[in-house]
Amino acid sequence: MADEVEQQPSTNTVEEPLDLIRLSLDERIYVKMRNDRELRGRLHAYDQHLNMILGDVEETVTTVEIDDETYEELYKSTKRNIPMLFVRGDGVVLVAPPLRVG
Amino acid sequence: MDPVDVQGQSQSSSQSQGEVCSSLRERSISENSLVALLQGMQGHVTTVELRDEGWAQGRLQNVDAFMNLRMRDVLYRGHNMGHTSKLQDLFITGRNIRFVHIPDHMDVLQTIQTQLQRIHRVRTFNREGGGGGRREYCPKKK
Repeated sequence: MADEVEQQPSTNTVEEPLDLIRLSLDERIYVKMRNDRELRGRLHAYDQHLNMILGDVEETVTTVEIDDETYEELYKSTKRNIPMLFVRGDGVVLVAPPLRVG
Repeated sequence: MDPVDVQGQSQSSSQSQGEVCSSLRERSISENSLVALLQGMQGHVTTVELRDEGWAQGRLQNVDAFMNLRMRDVLYRGHNMGHTSKLQDLFITGRNIRFVHIPDHMDVLQTIQTQLQRIHRVRTFNREGGGGGRREYCPKKK
C-alpha cells in the first residue's frame, strides 16, 4: 500500500540515523549544505535521500573575499527568505537543531 | 498552434498534469520519495534553482522519478549569464537541481496524497479485470 512518505511504522524508538531526523519533524532545524550554504527552517517532510521540504526558510550564503592589498579574508554572508522550499538531498551535508548563540 | 507544442504532446514520454509514469520502476521510486510532491506540482509555475547558481522559472510540465524536469514558458538565467532568456521548452537533469520553490497556494500534504493515489490507481487498474491482469505484487499466500 502506498503510504505517506512521512508516516513511519508506529515505532518511537530511534533505530537508525534517519530516525533522528524524524524526531525533528515540524521543528525548526539547521541544515548545512554544500557550497557554503546554510538553511534554517521548519522541517515539514524528508525522505531517505534527505530531500526535504522546509517552511519559513532563511538561506545564508557565505563568501570569502580576499583584499588585494592587505590579503585579509573578508567573510560576507547573504541571506534571503523563502516561504516554502523543496531541497534536493544530494546538497545536504548535515541536519541539526538550530544553533544556540553563545 | 505552435508546431513545437503539438510535437511535444504527441511524444509518448510527455504527460499532462496528473498522469503517472508508465514504468513500474519509476512508479516505485516516486512512491517512496518526495519526488511525488514534485510530480504533483506538474502544471504549476515554480522557480527551480540549479546547482550551478542559475535558476529557471516556468511551468512544470513533467517530472520523472529521477527529478528530471521539463518546463514550458521559462525565464532562465544561467550561472554565467548576466541576463535572463525566455525559453519555450527547458529540460533540467535532476542532478542539477538545488532547490524548488513551492508556491504559497499549494497544500503540500494534499498534493503528495493525491499523487500517491494516482499511482495506486494505476497499479490496481489491471486487478479490476477479475484477477486476469498483471499483478505488480505477489499475492499473499493463504
